[in-house]
Amino acid sequence: MIDSAVVDAVRISLLVAGVSTAIVAAPAIALGRLLARREFPGRSIVETLAALPLYCPPTAFGFLLLYALRRDGALGREALGIDLGLLLTWRGAVLASAIMSFPLVMRTARVAFEAVPERLERMAASLGASRWQVAWSVTLPLARRGLLAALLVGFSRALGEFGATVIVAGNIPGRTQTLATGIFDALQLGDDARALELAAWSVALGFGAVWTSEWLMRRSPRRRA
Amino acid sequence: MSHDLRFDLRTRLERFTLEVACTSQARSLGLFGPSGSGKTTIVEALAGWRAVEHGRIALSGETWLDTAAGLRLAPARRRVGYVPQDQLLFPHLDVEANLRFGCGRDDGLVQRVLEVLEIEALRARSVEALSGGERQRVALGRALCSRPRLLLLDEPFGALDKPLRRRILPYLMRVRDEFDTPLVLVSHDATEIAAACDEVLVLREGRIVERGAPAQVLAPSEAADAQESFENVLRGRVSTVTATTALVDLGGALLEAPRSALEPGVPAVLSVRADEVLVATARPTGLSARNVLRSRVETVVNGAAARVLARVGAQPVWVDLTDAAIAELGLAAGREVFLVIKTRSCRVLSSGSAR
Repeated sequence: MIDSAVVDAVRISLLVAGVSTAIVAAPAIALGRLLARREFPGRSIVETLAALPLYCPPTAFGFLLLYALRRDGALGREALGIDLGLLLTWRGAVLASAIMSFPLVMRTARVAFEAVPERLERMAASLGASRWQVAWSVTLPLARRGLLAALLVGFSRALGEFGATVIVAGNIPGRTQTLATGIFDALQLGDDARALELAAWSVALGFGAVWTSEWLMRRSPRRRA
Repeated sequence: MSHDLRFDLRTRLERFTLEVACTSQARSLGLFGPSGSGKTTIVEALAGWRAVEHGRIALSGETWLDTAAGLRLAPARRRVGYVPQDQLLFPHLDVEANLRFGCGRDDGLVQRVLEVLEIEALRARSVEALSGGERQRVALGRALCSRPRLLLLDEPFGALDKPLRRRILPYLMRVRDEFDTPLVLVSHDATEIAAACDEVLVLREGRIVERGAPAQVLAPSEAADAQESFENVLRGRVSTVTATTALVDLGGALLEAPRSALEPGVPAVLSVRADEVLVATARPTGLSARNVLRSRVETVVNGAAARVLARVGAQPVWVDLTDAAIAELGLAAGREVFLVIKTRSCRVLSSGSAR
């Protein structure tokens, strides 16, 4: 029989990675599109800020979040008047994962948009399509494969998030312990068998994610762009 | 429907400054010139795809661009049907979805375009599976389906080899005749321009160096393609037909051409290569060639490419001859001659449509 702590870790990992990807998807894709096509003042600042989590230790971001979210922090109860209830909860793990995976999703989406010939979009506009119609009927379908890849990368990054998560959400079995933090916990306790089991689940989930996205791409019609 | 296209553009390009001004009421206006002479820049400016430093563009009184007034109408609001050299078909859509992109639910229009361009059999095909000629027709069809006020065709057959271009040209002629849309045709193929256009602007290094009716402007020297023979483009109206031939009235002279799809009464556009016409100084007899047309030499051009200009009806016909032949026949301006043209040397470029 499977250890209930393992089942919990799988469940929490999927929940955190799933919700984090769902939250990140729209803003990261929108920003990717913006950076792929438009020049605007402050663009390089936005680019740098959005990429920052990629270049800093996750523990640094975890610590900054912890600092901001604690009772007397910038986002704490005393400053906001309400408790966001993020510290030591799975929602905190979602926040940490979302911040850490955002740059990867955004960059992959940006590359996907850059691969769509701009002249095709112009042709669509010349044929009378509104900006929204161009995005919906030309840009998105042609960028679909890359966008799917972006979401997959974000999901996988969230699944593997450790440093920021463990600081913000802790490593509480059954509540905030994910596969990534669970393996560390099992190793610390010398429970190699559980660590191995969690590692096997991690690999299986990674496999499932890649396989699902491949399958999705294959079944969408006329995938060649 | 009358229309009136005006443009006056000035902008720096890499090698020269484009400086062109034109007001034209032509139903189809040709832009002719060597590659890199500014043709595509003009068309892209008309479509609103390219910014110019100084310029005005107006179609039938509606201003599309006026840099002095800071006005620039968005491409979507110009309603031009633009067919660029690379066609830009949407690769993720099939032929019918490409056609419908600009027109939505107007089934009647889609059906008419499918019929006129004979692409009905392709409607469910992926555009990636189309041949070069099919792609061109679909791109033309998509432009038509958007109900444009102006068609912009930039080397629409540029990527095709010559025989295929000649097979596709009739579709363009048919579009011109069946849809009441003015068009601008960019080409470096004099025959295409001569067949399809009422007026032509000859461009060189960003300037209009000549302007007028194609028959006047596009003489062989202008068509300067040393490797290929000049093609004379003749216009007329079909008077009678048999099962395999059509008799075309060129305005004073009758020419027998292959039947193709011609019907009595319809306008016909034919091409005859300059090196496929024979010249005789007396009316020959006992000849298999079906056309022997009395004519008069207008000009003789000696040199590397010796040519004789004669007229059939009011239409100029250039004939490629050798210097020796010109000398031996004593051809000179004013000399009466007979032009001998085989039926099969007449190529039908028009569609045979009713208008």
